[in-house]
Amino acid sequence: MTPWTPWILQALNGISMGALLFLLAAGFTLTFGLGRVVNLAHGAFYLLGGYLGLTVLRATGSFWLALVAAGAAIVGVSWACDRFLIRRTRENVLGQVLLTVGIAYVLADICLAFWGGSPLRVPPPEFARGPIDLPGGIVYPRYRFLLILFGVLVAGVLWLLYSRTQLGALVRAGVDDREMVDALGINVDRLFALVFGLAAFLAGLSGVAGGAFLTLYPGADWDILAYALVVVIVGGLGSLGGAMIGSLIVGLVDAYGRWLLPEFSYFMVFGPMALLLLVRPTGLFGREA
Amino acid sequence: MASLATLAVASLALAAPWLLGTFWISLVTQMLILGLLALSVDLLTGHTGILPMGHAGFFAVAAYTTAILEVRHAQGFWVSAGGGVLVAVLLAVVFGLSVRTSGVYFILLTLALGHIVWGVAMRWTTFTGGENGVSNVPPPAVAAVRFADLSVYYYLVLVVVAVCGLGYQRLVRSPFGLALRGIRESESRMRGLGYNVFAHKYAAFVISGGLAGVAGVLYAYWNRFVSPAAATFHASAEAVLMGILGGTGTILGPFIGAAIILGIRNWVSGYVVWWTSVMGLVFIATVLWAPHGLLGLVRELRGRSAVRRASPPHAAAPDQTPAAGTAAMRGARGPEAPGSPPP
Repeated sequence: MTPWTPWILQALNGISMGALLFLLAAGFTLTFGLGRVVNLAHGAFYLLGGYLGLTVLRATGSFWLALVAAGAAIVGVSWACDRFLIRRTRENVLGQVLLTVGIAYVLADICLAFWGGSPLRVPPPEFARGPIDLPGGIVYPRYRFLLILFGVLVAGVLWLLYSRTQLGALVRAGVDDREMVDALGINVDRLFALVFGLAAFLAGLSGVAGGAFLTLYPGADWDILAYALVVVIVGGLGSLGGAMIGSLIVGLVDAYGRWLLPEFSYFMVFGPMALLLLVRPTGLFGREA
Repeated sequence: MASLATLAVASLALAAPWLLGTFWISLVTQMLILGLLALSVDLLTGHTGILPMGHAGFFAVAAYTTAILEVRHAQGFWVSAGGGVLVAVLLAVVFGLSVRTSGVYFILLTLALGHIVWGVAMRWTTFTGGENGVSNVPPPAVAAVRFADLSVYYYLVLVVVAVCGLGYQRLVRSPFGLALRGIRESESRMRGLGYNVFAHKYAAFVISGGLAGVAGVLYAYWNRFVSPAAATFHASAEAVLMGILGGTGTILGPFIGAAIILGIRNWVSGYVVWWTSVMGLVFIATVLWAPHGLLGLVRELRGRSAVRRASPPHAAAPDQTPAAGTAAMRGARGPEAPGSPPP
């Protein structure tokens, strides 16, 4: 136990929170980048995914199955939302924002009706319970440590997809100039549906992952969405790299803020973001929206 | 004709306490207060073409300031109410810098800024009382009159809202208001004409924040209790929705929107527990079927009947702009879309 131990513990807290935020923010930012869709129901996707995963977990006892089932179910929900509602508001940001807020209201109400108002915790799988001994005599919850590894893994896979595959090249090109990609004969709508589905899958999955240490409760959808928005704003809309850096920054600032200034922890996260935007109105890696 | 309608509305408003019971007069007061909040939002949404999603922040900050000054420092009405509005204006002076960003960034940034106010109200328990809020706000005492009775307080709200409404009308009809609508239509063109776009947007934002603060002060005295619920994202989003639902770019629209939403909430919540869903469906239905609001719908129908009456087709309805709402929707898309031809 050195004097630095609490600082390192908070850093780990921040990085694990950042890993969770990345799962949400990556989807949000790519959805916006490619389709110009501002999906404020993303937090509701997270919450509904968490609750659905919890139910699957209780029925089957398998954490992995819960993760996948939650992701898959949210893909279905998001597909229906996109196909029947969001698609009708293309090119109209104001309408889209209000529409997705409406979707979030309905989904949150469904969650409340089925899972009630008291916080529920998703039990972590057997292998992720208890503490883990890290070098330097640091004892840390095993689940959160594994979450960091999981976040890094997902980030790596996404990054490879994004920067090394043909699909990723199409997405990057679509973010840059949607019309041009369309004119080249690529079905951008289908490409967008794919990205939106991926974003929804990650949102549903992160609901289960986050529910295991943040618990699930009415209002968690907006709590987590606010953080994810800060990540996206700091990193720059439409930038996957920005989402990675942003989630790390926000996670760390939040952890140290909660620890050092508990009453103003919100200010610690949102204040620097506002300052950053004054200097760079499009975030660290963003372009004109 | 128009003056007759105004007279009718005014006399109805004045006679309301005799016509309605306590429950209804309380609801009408609430409608006026939230309508004022929606009106403040609409200065930005309907006239300037930017979409703020955090205006409940100014509303709540003013309400908290008034409540705390009244309850803990036993200050009178003028100090408490003035202090509330002042703090809201000061907050708007700081948050107003967000107009440097545009389009989606502005929406998301104001949402996050509004969330700060909620977070501070929630977490700074020693000062704001946390979730318990600040309770037992006394009724306001202006000069010798103590507005203890709700139907008397209604008149105070009515006067304040009427004064604000008249001032608002002057403002949006002034050259400043015209410049705001110019910015809504084309920011780059206004810049080209030599207008300081940032200064106009910033001023509009600060005025709007102050107006939301006035609504917040009225709310603190009406509710006698202020809690973080006043600062939630839901309150901000519903204020935007009220403006759109009633009809953006108008003065009456936000109040009509507030009346509809409060009406639905009170009516539906009496019958079903699903009223949050119903609110969500109202959001969705408004965007899909009434994007110009009810006043826009009325104007469209009138335009259509005007077309039918005018027989020569070229004389049909010279000004067919459906409603200012359309322009607001277009404007809120952000600055010129990258692909659009230069103006």
